[in-house]
Amino acid sequence: MKIRRNTNLLIEPPAVATGDIAFNLLVFFLVCASSQPDSGRRQELPRSEQEKHQKQEKKNIEVSMGRTTLSIGEEGNLVETTLTDFPSRIRQSLSTRSAAKEDRIVVVRSTKDTPYERWITVTGMIESAGGVITLQLQEEQEILIP
Amino acid sequence: MKITRRKLKVEVPTVAMGDIAFNLLVFFVILARSQDDSHLKWEPARTAEVENFGNPRVSITVDTENRVYLNGRQVSTREISAGVESLLGNLPPGRRIVLLKIHKETLAATFEPIMEAVSEAGGEVVHVLQQDQPH
Repeated sequence: MKIRRNTNLLIEPPAVATGDIAFNLLVFFLVCASSQPDSGRRQELPRSEQEKHQKQEKKNIEVSMGRTTLSIGEEGNLVETTLTDFPSRIRQSLSTRSAAKEDRIVVVRSTKDTPYERWITVTGMIESAGGVITLQLQEEQEILIP
Repeated sequence: MKITRRKLKVEVPTVAMGDIAFNLLVFFVILARSQDDSHLKWEPARTAEVENFGNPRVSITVDTENRVYLNGRQVSTREISAGVESLLGNLPPGRRIVLLKIHKETLAATFEPIMEAVSEAGGEVVHVLQQDQPH
């Protein structure tokens, strides 16, 4: 009698290393997905109490902007300008001031419809000219009708 | 004749080490994702010069739909000051950076109160911007 050898051996892939493989895959994808460090521009904003104090001592340079408008001057005496002319105007205004930080404050006022990109462009120009930005927010007032 | 007892080899089982590491990694990834804001849609404004600020502890995002997020969690503008203050804790100046990731078309009515709130909380404002590519 001929004994037939059973050749259908159960072949299983080794599962011991599965955990390690998964671990390495995960590390790989984590490294791939790791986000780049954020880059941008630092902006020093003095607190509002300081601003009020300095306002009383001397007239600050004021910049007012809207979606399409831009004006510069001393408080209460603003002149309209364009984005192209603005760098020279702000430099000229700051040139008459001393190097002291409190003397180089530029009060920035913007209408509610001013887009962020425009605001960043204008404030960037002020900082490049050596100005210190202070925000003046439009306060909401409650009006009581008798 | 003296029969010596065979010494048994005692080894720490290392088979499960991979699985343990895997689970640990999953745990930390989930923990890290909870503070992540990479899923938010916003487009940075452009500027000529930027510098790197690493990965500070606090970030505020305003997305394309004008929604405000503090470290990936949606908040109202009124909640920002207290939220930033608690996140910054007693960090010394220089490490109190708050990243502002504001969509370029956001209006001043939204972003100015945010900046004021950060300033009130003693945060140092850093605008996240995209550098203009030289032509």
